[in-house]
Amino acid sequence: MDGRRWNELRRFQCRINTHPNSADGSSFVEQGNSKVVCIVEGPMEPPSRSQLSATEATLNISLNVTPFSSIDRKRRNKNERRIQEIITSLKRTFEQSIITDKYPRTTISITCHVLTLDGGLISAVTNSITLALIDAGIAMYDYISSVSAGFYDNTPLLDLNQLEENDLSYLTIGIVGKSEKLALLILENKIPLDKLEGVLAIAVAGGHRIRDMMDKEVRRHGELRLSKLANK
Amino acid sequence: MASPVVGKKRLSEGLTVTSKVFVRSRNGNASKIVREHYLRNDIPCLSRACQRCGELVAPDANGQLPKFILSPEPLQLKEVGRHYVVVDTNIILQAIDLLENNQIFFDVIVPQTVLDEVRNKSFPIYNRIRTLCQDNEKRFIVFHNEFCEETYVKRLDSESINDRNDRAIRQLCTWYQEHLQSSGINIVLVTNDRLNKESAVKNNITTKNLHEYVELHPNCSELRDLIPTEEFKQREKVEHFFENHYTTSRILGGLKNGTLYQGSVNISSYNFLEGEIKVASLPKPLLLIGSANLNRAFNGDQVVVELLPKSQWKKPSTMIIDDEKLNTNEDPNNEDTQISDRERRLLTQDAIDTQNDSSEVQPTGRVVGIVKRSWRLYVGQIVQNSVSKNTSNSAKSCFVKLMDRTLPRVRIRTRRANELLGQKIVVAIDSWPTTSNHPEGHFVKCLGESESVEAETEALLLEHDVEYRPFSKSVLDCLPPEGHDWVVPKDLEDAEVLRKDPLLPKRKDFRDKLVCSIDPPGCVDIDDALHAQQLPNGNWEVGVHIADVTHFVKPGTPLDAEGASRATSVYLVDKRIDMLPMLLGTDLCSLKPYVERFSFSCIWELDDDANIVNVEFNKSIIKSREAFSYEQAQLRIDDKSQQDDLTKGMRALLRLSKKLKQKRLDAGALNLASPEVKVHMDSETSDPGEVEIKKLFETNSLVEEFMLLANISVARKIYSEYPQTAMLRRHNSPPATNFEKLNDMLRVRKNMAISIESSKALADSLDRCVDPNDEYFNTLLRIMSTRAMTAAEYFSSGSYGYPEFRHYGLAVDIYTHFTSPIRRYCDVVAHRQLAGAIGYEPLDLGHRDKSKMETICKNLNKRHRNAQFAGRASIEYYVGQVMKNNESVETGYVIRVFSNGVVVLVPKFGVESLIKLDDLTSHVESVNFEEDKYQLTFTTQDGKHQRTVAVFDQVKVEVKSILDQSVGKRKAQLVLL
Amino acid sequence: MAKGIETSANEKAFIIDALTQGVRTDGRKLDEYRDVKISLGSQYGSVDVTMGETRVLCRISSEIVAPYEDRPFEGLFTVSTEISPMASPMFEQGRQSDDELLITRTVEKAVRRSNALDLESLCIIAGAKCWSIRADVHLLNYDGGFIDASCIAVMTALQHYKKQDITVSGEQVLVHDFSERSPVGLSILHVPICVTFAFFNPHGVEQNIKGDAKEIYVVDPNMQEELLKHGILTVTINKNREVCQVSKAGGLPMDALTLMECSHKAFTIAEKLTNDIKKLIEEDDLQRKGSQWKMLSASNDR
Repeated sequence: MDGRRWNELRRFQCRINTHPNSADGSSFVEQGNSKVVCIVEGPMEPPSRSQLSATEATLNISLNVTPFSSIDRKRRNKNERRIQEIITSLKRTFEQSIITDKYPRTTISITCHVLTLDGGLISAVTNSITLALIDAGIAMYDYISSVSAGFYDNTPLLDLNQLEENDLSYLTIGIVGKSEKLALLILENKIPLDKLEGVLAIAVAGGHRIRDMMDKEVRRHGELRLSKLANK
Repeated sequence: MASPVVGKKRLSEGLTVTSKVFVRSRNGNASKIVREHYLRNDIPCLSRACQRCGELVAPDANGQLPKFILSPEPLQLKEVGRHYVVVDTNIILQAIDLLENNQIFFDVIVPQTVLDEVRNKSFPIYNRIRTLCQDNEKRFIVFHNEFCEETYVKRLDSESINDRNDRAIRQLCTWYQEHLQSSGINIVLVTNDRLNKESAVKNNITTKNLHEYVELHPNCSELRDLIPTEEFKQREKVEHFFENHYTTSRILGGLKNGTLYQGSVNISSYNFLEGEIKVASLPKPLLLIGSANLNRAFNGDQVVVELLPKSQWKKPSTMIIDDEKLNTNEDPNNEDTQISDRERRLLTQDAIDTQNDSSEVQPTGRVVGIVKRSWRLYVGQIVQNSVSKNTSNSAKSCFVKLMDRTLPRVRIRTRRANELLGQKIVVAIDSWPTTSNHPEGHFVKCLGESESVEAETEALLLEHDVEYRPFSKSVLDCLPPEGHDWVVPKDLEDAEVLRKDPLLPKRKDFRDKLVCSIDPPGCVDIDDALHAQQLPNGNWEVGVHIADVTHFVKPGTPLDAEGASRATSVYLVDKRIDMLPMLLGTDLCSLKPYVERFSFSCIWELDDDANIVNVEFNKSIIKSREAFSYEQAQLRIDDKSQQDDLTKGMRALLRLSKKLKQKRLDAGALNLASPEVKVHMDSETSDPGEVEIKKLFETNSLVEEFMLLANISVARKIYSEYPQTAMLRRHNSPPATNFEKLNDMLRVRKNMAISIESSKALADSLDRCVDPNDEYFNTLLRIMSTRAMTAAEYFSSGSYGYPEFRHYGLAVDIYTHFTSPIRRYCDVVAHRQLAGAIGYEPLDLGHRDKSKMETICKNLNKRHRNAQFAGRASIEYYVGQVMKNNESVETGYVIRVFSNGVVVLVPKFGVESLIKLDDLTSHVESVNFEEDKYQLTFTTQDGKHQRTVAVFDQVKVEVKSILDQSVGKRKAQLVLL
Repeated sequence: MAKGIETSANEKAFIIDALTQGVRTDGRKLDEYRDVKISLGSQYGSVDVTMGETRVLCRISSEIVAPYEDRPFEGLFTVSTEISPMASPMFEQGRQSDDELLITRTVEKAVRRSNALDLESLCIIAGAKCWSIRADVHLLNYDGGFIDASCIAVMTALQHYKKQDITVSGEQVLVHDFSERSPVGLSILHVPICVTFAFFNPHGVEQNIKGDAKEIYVVDPNMQEELLKHGILTVTINKNREVCQVSKAGGLPMDALTLMECSHKAFTIAEKLTNDIKKLIEEDDLQRKGSQWKMLSASNDR
């Protein structure tokens, strides 16, 4: 443990509209030492016809884990199965949260860059996508906030760093707004069934806290925009 | 490591510090490790005297609040007043025993910095201090100073890690001092580090070194002894524990010009740091003392050694050194252990002891190369305190203590360390690099719960390299297709039968002879049967019929290969590991009563004094009339009312056997003894019931004598036919050195002597050594003589000259094993050679090739020895189980005396065990070990009496069975009464 | 994803309507698992699993290779899944769709990452030689529940498989033929079983997010249900009450409590299946040894 209590999050910082000129929506999320930049473009006309859907918007996600993000500089294959799986999961998640039928015949393309990685890959990426989508003004039902939680020696732990992730069993959840609805749930190691509930509970609580922090940043940015507009 | 770069960021709830450390990774590249480190201001001081911290506490995941443990009214001492103690790393490492003492050290604050350091240095001590912190009696707490905003210190440029940590500890003291100012409680830093102490004084922290602190206590005189005397010296990290072995060319050169010697290492079973190596060119074995000289050699390895200068020659040690005692605090993750100092100290002491009288020094040597490792799979158990308790998924290092006590612990990496605790596991050894104190291996499989019959049985079979796996399919294909329905053909003339077995007409038909077998009760693999009948000329025709295994086991088949590699059946208390498949062993070959069987018969014509008039060997067909147990046979012979021919034959056999025995004894055959016992199994629960010493009947020796006679006759026959490759068995006369010590003991203690000039002389002198007051003494002496003997061995006649064929124990000039082909492979070979000798069928080339025969013999000898050890180990295990249920007081005999313990043999259970000096007395200073008198004098536990224990003394001991936690092996513990 | 198979709107409505009333089109209850038929092949480690119309074949093979550099003490284990158009027209040749990827990954995670196979015992000589175990899973016919069936198939096959016995002498490894030495089984630490749940949302997305309406879930969906589902959840659990893997890749958001409910259901199913598999393996073992067994055993009671 790095000095946090069992139910404390790591330092969470986020900013939206970080790249106002290059994209429709952008965000930067920092969870402990994990840093993710996310850029959203769209809704726009799809590059090829085949991807077009008459009723809904199509989602394209790409995830780039930079080679310099972790301790050993391993060049990751973009098509690595693990990355592909995360992308698919994310796609499924956001398809359900974006009100896609508002944007028929369009494509929304999301690009994430992981600058540094210190655990919580999926959760940091999920959070950054949520923020970037909001920044892009795309209609969503609610925030999707994500956090990981692990289990150590009878104690559930929230928001693991890389060291803890390597050693412990953990799960990552994506939570819808303030509810207890899970949009995303990924667990990859063994956790005793009876402990699962406790771990889930702190994860949900942590997710809510992250939602609040994201909400604060969105509102802060909104006010900033508003005041700029008013000044004009 | 480069200096860390630290960045701080302020957050709403606390501070974050990011530390960046450069670490050299495995392949030499520098990699950067960035860790986050959260600082907070809500860490409670856990003192009940504090009013402020009560509001800070937060519940943990189970909803429990941390308990405030430090007493509001701590111990008051002069100079320092009411105080809490802060300890530093070295104090914990050195004086953990003192910290655990319940007269001193209450209300101790262990800084987190210190705890981390302790964990890195020694994991077992870390575990001990953790337990201490959970124990409310002593009021130990851990303060997480690294995470507390006020006590965190940043490492400065040009500051070493150790200095920073010391500073962190001082910072903590200052903080506590201020924090608790209102309650008037002082903080005392206990450290032995002079620099740290000086700096602390500068910062107005009350500081004492351990000595000073103890002196403050009113009862300090008692405690003073507990202070570790040795100043802890921070040793330079040792890069290499062992010296490199020489290069191959240097070894070869050395061997050629005679400066280096090659041999196989034999580690003492009482002292795992001492090995012996027999070198052909030296009269006495070379001693290898200490782990540095053993230089990573394992028991049984083929090594190359170099002589050490004469100044370093020593006597074999009189100490008992146990691995368990020595390395309890070692940490598998960390090479840098201070405990090997202890090893060194033991050795120096030993060296001083032995250096003084140089009369009996033995040359010592040093291993410089290992030619062939004896590594195999080893059975052992994970050492409990080398495993961390947490439930993480990553692989952890831990130690495995092997069952074989002569071997060092093995370090393995496994993810399942916690699950495997208390289980018998199999490990393989991979390497022993010079940089490591321990060999490295890997986990192979788990046998099961320690002490369970299955796991223990499998463990001991593996440990003795006994092949216990089922026979393979290809072996099965070699068995007669008829299976259990196979019978001796009814009509020996039938063409169909003859086509199948063209050799059939060469068999003699002995179905009319009144043959019977006599074996232990419940025996199913009947190797031998006998008959006797008077001839018209008044002489006796005596026949020994041996199961004709070679009829079924043809050379060159997989079945033969399997038998050759297994070499012998292994008899455990509850199990038998067969050399040949059941179908043969217990049915087709077994000379069962009432059915016809093929046999290989040896028929003598003996005169009335049991002199051989004529001998003849034949493949034959017999029909056993009855299968007796020794007891039944005895009853039948003794029963006067039985007057049938079979019984008469048996009586004749008995009479002849007695004459044979007498002749043998006259020739000087030895009657030795071994503390053999038999374990009775409760037939219903199959729990071991009781232990008894094996009972012998006259019929036992009846069978034995004729078997010996058969073996000798066969040996002569095959030797005359195959002078270069006959399969024989010899027993060397024991080297005089083996008996030196025993004889010396006898002379000193009992004023007796045994002569070993010839077996006859030995036999006679053994008979003379009788202690009128102690009837067991003679048996004891025989047991000890047996141990001084060399083991008999198989050989092919080309390997030695005829005079060396002698079997010392049996006092015959030539001998072989012929009579138990079902359970010994030697006999199978002897059968084939005999069949060749009588022209029954041509001998297989493999048994006519000298080098092939030598390979077979080598394997036979090894397997034979292993089988004996396995059998003994099995008995030992069951005896342990029996003793577990009944503790008792028994008579025992001292058979060895060491300077720090005695070895006692308890005949009733056939166990021997070491009684350590520590268990004999607590007055170590009173001990007087007189090596020349083989006695140990000490003051008894109550301090009132002097007591002397010497070799051959009869003592009363309390026998109980204890479970050795570290090895998971139950062993007999004896307590001297 | 459904190429070629389209369910009509009527049918869709009917199925969902039926589900709201607790009836499934194939007559099962909502939480009823299909009957699993497992048949063992004549060779060690080949298993054929049938669940409803779904049919999966698994074959284990082994060879001796060098271990990974960073894990010298462990053997290798790979699971490869082959999904061909043979199983269903919805699978395309050559290209892996997202679904196929998810399926493959889930099976792999369930079996491999949960350490079901004891990799450490596959080590022969540390850093130099180890066993590499490979499980090939082929989907022969598809009617939903591929993950579940594959997982059962792989685990049964692993338990059934026996590799050649070896002898190590120094750096040399001698591999013994089956006829020379009887083969040895693999060391299986636990048996993870996957249970898939499909979620249906009868009331539309918006209401669901607001949390008023409860979603319906069914155990072990067949193909039709899988096509219509709004969300899917796979729970992998073993007999020791350890959850080895949960994956819910997006889809309909669900309640945390529902998850717990599902996990407990999954546990009961897993327990039963594990016992069934064990029994089957034991029976097969006994049958294989047959009458010869007694004759070949080397260690016998005294």
